[in-house]
Amino acid sequence: MIEDIVSLTSQALVAMIPLLLASVGEIVTERSGVVNIGLEGILILSAFISSLVTFSTNDPYLGLLAGALSGLSAGLLHGFISVYLRGDQIIAGVGFNTFAYGISILGLINTWGHHGASPMVSKVPFFGAPLYISPLLPVAFMIAIICWFWLFRTSSGLRLRACGEDPRAAEAMGVNVLRMRLLATIIGATLTGIGGAYIVVGWIGQFTRHISAGRGFIALAIVALSGWNPALAIAGSFIFGFFDAISLYLPVKIQLINPGLNLTSLSYIFRIIPYLGVLIIVSFFFRRGRAPRDLGRPYIKE
Amino acid sequence: MRKVILEVSLSIILSFLIGYTTLILMGYDATKVFSIVIREGLSNPTYLMIRSTPLILTALAFSIPSLVGVFNIGGEGQFYLGALSSLLIAHITGNSLLSIITGMAAGGLLSVLIAVIKVKRGVNEVVTSIMFNWIIYFSLLYLISTYLFDPLMPYQSISVPKTARIDYLIVHIQIPAIFPIAVLTSLVMYFLLYHSALGYKMRVVGISPKAARYAGFDPESSIILSMLIGGAMGGLGGSLLILGHTHAIDSTMSGLYGMGFAGIGAGLLGRNNPIGIILSSIFLSMLIIGGEAAELRARVPTELADALIGMIVIVLSAPYIVRLVRVRR
Amino acid sequence: MLVEMRGITKVYPDGVVALRGVDFEASEGEIHGLLGENGAGKTTLMRILYGEIKQTSGEVIFSGKAVSFKGPWDSMRSGISMVYQRFSLVPTMSVIENLHLYLSSLQSGIRIEEVRKRAEEIMERLKFRVPLEANVEDLAVGVQQRAEIMKVLLSKPKLIILDEPTSVLTPIEIRELFRILKELKEDGITIIFITHKLKEVKEITDRVTILRKGERVGTYETPSVSEEELAVMMVGRGITPAKRGAPSLGREVMRVEDLWVRDDRGLHAVKGVSFELHEGEILGIAGVQGNGQLELAEALAGIRGVERGRIIIDGKDITNLPAEARYREGLAYIPDSRAVGLVLEMNLVENSILTSLRDFLGKGSRIIWPLASSRAGEIIERFNVIGSLRGQVKYLSGGNQQRLLVGREIIKAPRVLIVSEPTQGLDLAATEFIRSTLLKFREEGRSIILISTDLDEIFELCDRIAVIYEGRFMGMGRNENFTLERLGLLMGGVNA
Repeated sequence: MIEDIVSLTSQALVAMIPLLLASVGEIVTERSGVVNIGLEGILILSAFISSLVTFSTNDPYLGLLAGALSGLSAGLLHGFISVYLRGDQIIAGVGFNTFAYGISILGLINTWGHHGASPMVSKVPFFGAPLYISPLLPVAFMIAIICWFWLFRTSSGLRLRACGEDPRAAEAMGVNVLRMRLLATIIGATLTGIGGAYIVVGWIGQFTRHISAGRGFIALAIVALSGWNPALAIAGSFIFGFFDAISLYLPVKIQLINPGLNLTSLSYIFRIIPYLGVLIIVSFFFRRGRAPRDLGRPYIKE
Repeated sequence: MRKVILEVSLSIILSFLIGYTTLILMGYDATKVFSIVIREGLSNPTYLMIRSTPLILTALAFSIPSLVGVFNIGGEGQFYLGALSSLLIAHITGNSLLSIITGMAAGGLLSVLIAVIKVKRGVNEVVTSIMFNWIIYFSLLYLISTYLFDPLMPYQSISVPKTARIDYLIVHIQIPAIFPIAVLTSLVMYFLLYHSALGYKMRVVGISPKAARYAGFDPESSIILSMLIGGAMGGLGGSLLILGHTHAIDSTMSGLYGMGFAGIGAGLLGRNNPIGIILSSIFLSMLIIGGEAAELRARVPTELADALIGMIVIVLSAPYIVRLVRVRR
Repeated sequence: MLVEMRGITKVYPDGVVALRGVDFEASEGEIHGLLGENGAGKTTLMRILYGEIKQTSGEVIFSGKAVSFKGPWDSMRSGISMVYQRFSLVPTMSVIENLHLYLSSLQSGIRIEEVRKRAEEIMERLKFRVPLEANVEDLAVGVQQRAEIMKVLLSKPKLIILDEPTSVLTPIEIRELFRILKELKEDGITIIFITHKLKEVKEITDRVTILRKGERVGTYETPSVSEEELAVMMVGRGITPAKRGAPSLGREVMRVEDLWVRDDRGLHAVKGVSFELHEGEILGIAGVQGNGQLELAEALAGIRGVERGRIIIDGKDITNLPAEARYREGLAYIPDSRAVGLVLEMNLVENSILTSLRDFLGKGSRIIWPLASSRAGEIIERFNVIGSLRGQVKYLSGGNQQRLLVGREIIKAPRVLIVSEPTQGLDLAATEFIRSTLLKFREEGRSIILISTDLDEIFELCDRIAVIYEGRFMGMGRNENFTLERLGLLMGGVNA
């Protein structure tokens, strides 16, 4: 029993890293007033690019860097459309998801000729048995804390938050709202890019077709549930990481008890757990009115 | 009208350019690929009609709530539910009409649930929709692999019995009956939106909530109603796919996956207008069919079509200003 | 002389002349009032001083040097600050966060402890307290204003411009504000006080400059002018001869009893208004914008709920009827904003049926578009609307949009027409046309409630006049019993 909990926890600690990075990144973005639905696409795209780079260079750290850079470019695109072109943020995000999925699979097949997955790539090593901790875990934690500190304890974070609450007043108080929003979008997307890269080089070890499986949207839910607070996102990411781990773990366990059952079909039903969890928790625990007031609205200067 | 044609053409041209460049970068003969796509996409009109049908409906599923200011991203889940419930009812009763009605009802119920959560709890419909999409996706996979598989053909589910299938309208002209059904539905939606009191009120709510309030129209009921209709459309799409095309759900659900999102693309490309949607759905289906042919002939993955569609949507998002995101009460 | 503005003229691209050769000056340590009606040019003049907009001609001299500010931050660095009617504070953040935000733009990297220290200093000097940790939106408006003033003081200004500061305050808060202003004056800060309220001019200002229709009427030492004299200068002499025929009042067609209505903030905007309306009469409601007219109009139309009181049309109590039903009962409403009364992205035909949808439905709730088109055609013809049926209404000029809006409601021949600011922002031709349309309507035996800030219009059109001030009717009576100066006084809150 104890060893079950230990292995579940260590699995959860691994699963939570991309969720934490993406949600903290999106908190920064949304605090400035921009909503980036394209997190899912960023995860997929950066996962692919980092797998490509890691494969060619055999260096997983370069892979992480590549992931960060792909996130950055995605953030630049989304930021430009949302902030300067005043485009519809939600549609741009949805379009990006489809586009990123298409391009990544295209790249997968083109590079390795395989439809399902890339070959294995070198990974960032774990340390500390029996609880296998990835070095990226403390890094992600630190990033969350730093972002919390930045948003709530510094004047530049204050200026960023003002953009999301009342851009007109922020502008009147001397903040360059457009620039700040673009910056926040880029930062958020870059962190998400690192998260996507991590899934490949720190966890699964390869790029697969369904590598992100809705994690981008779970991150969005974590943003809302954490009340747009990076420190609380740590808890949220762990909870959903735990759900993720359970959904993979339970079917295996049950099959051990009852070997007649078909593992594949069983695992389907358990895969629902994270999404159902999000749905229930969000429907019951979400409190209206905590979001940045101006979230999702383009700022049009007078 | 001119502006609309300009926007649409611009987005298609831009996305084609990017697709072309990407193919070249990846070492393909881009010109050959594009010519295969277009040629093969148009080569079989009957098949084109069959493939366009579900897309028309998932496009309506997105566009109608869109006109009232709500984002129905849950079209994917509504589509699956429609397919599943139709399959079951068809299997049990052998009656196609009942199947269709069930499919529509299932889709509509799901979308109303999403709308109610939005209106009553203030939870953004995008997150709840996506969660539902995945929940239904995996539930469906589970059901197909456990209770609903066809013992003779284990890679797919039980089939729709012959009595419930919807085949050709006029056999020697080869028009699949589901296509006129979809077109007719689109026309009915057009009529609803532009020739009925209900549609008028919904459009006013979507464009200007303040003017709607002045005129005495109630935004909340318009939101929920539009979602109901949208969900029914999504469910109908799944129904028609099952009854008129695949007659079963394959165990990886590859025939269903992505239709909801492609519908968003078709809806946007059709500028949220039911007539435009008919055209844009045919166009995008051409791309998709062509993409599948390109896979066979030039070994370019079908996901090229996804990338193209995604790019079209991104470009179209830019001129689409605040209008759509207005109603947030 | 701290500020001198010479020969300031401002002409907008569309030809509107907001200011015509205005001279203005203010000395150190004085409280200088800037008095005028809506549209007189007071705010425009100050926005030029503050650097938000540029003058077409004329010069601005500040602290002895000719200046041309490139924007508000430029003027701020020179020592000019402006407190608007709509505060520039982030409502969802606390006071201290707002102060911190503001100061961080002036001095990057400033620590919050330093901000707190300065805030405390200001509060101590001016002897008031603002709860620094509270969110701005949770504070009473008077306290918010104090926070805004504190913010402004952080930049150590030499001149503070206040734009209609008391329009949102209670009498007690006004008293407190004036006390603070006097303390600031003692510190040598110059204050320019924009207002339309005569009593306040007399109470707090040292000198007052009066503007009317973009021109300066005069500058006086406050003790040397009376409220009556100020009122006359503010609204001008000369009454436009009434083209109204003699009133022939019929039976009572509408009655409003003790109406109480809340505004969007939850405060009472209408406090116990009562009146009757007869056939063939135009009742005018005069008053400066923001005194409850909007809420009253919306409550009568059925768009806003009523807390207390009754509304009766021809003996039928319609207090609880929603808007659509009231429109069917023969009530019509023309709001002051065309963005509300029209759906700008829809075309003319679609707009023509907005408030009478049921009249255009066939069986099964089907819209009979040919019928709608012919209605649109009628409106275009009778009301001289220049525009195509199929083009979006937003491409019409303001005058044509207004004709469409007015025409749409009048053509329904309602029993009671409520119209708010019918000629605001329109050129002479459109204005004349709409006014004569309203008069014709009255001659047909219909009733109109006209809400307007334009006193010429009130005198020209109305049989009876009521003045609304802070949610109450002050003085209601026949047109003949009012003079311009009496109206001016009542609008300013003085019982006359």
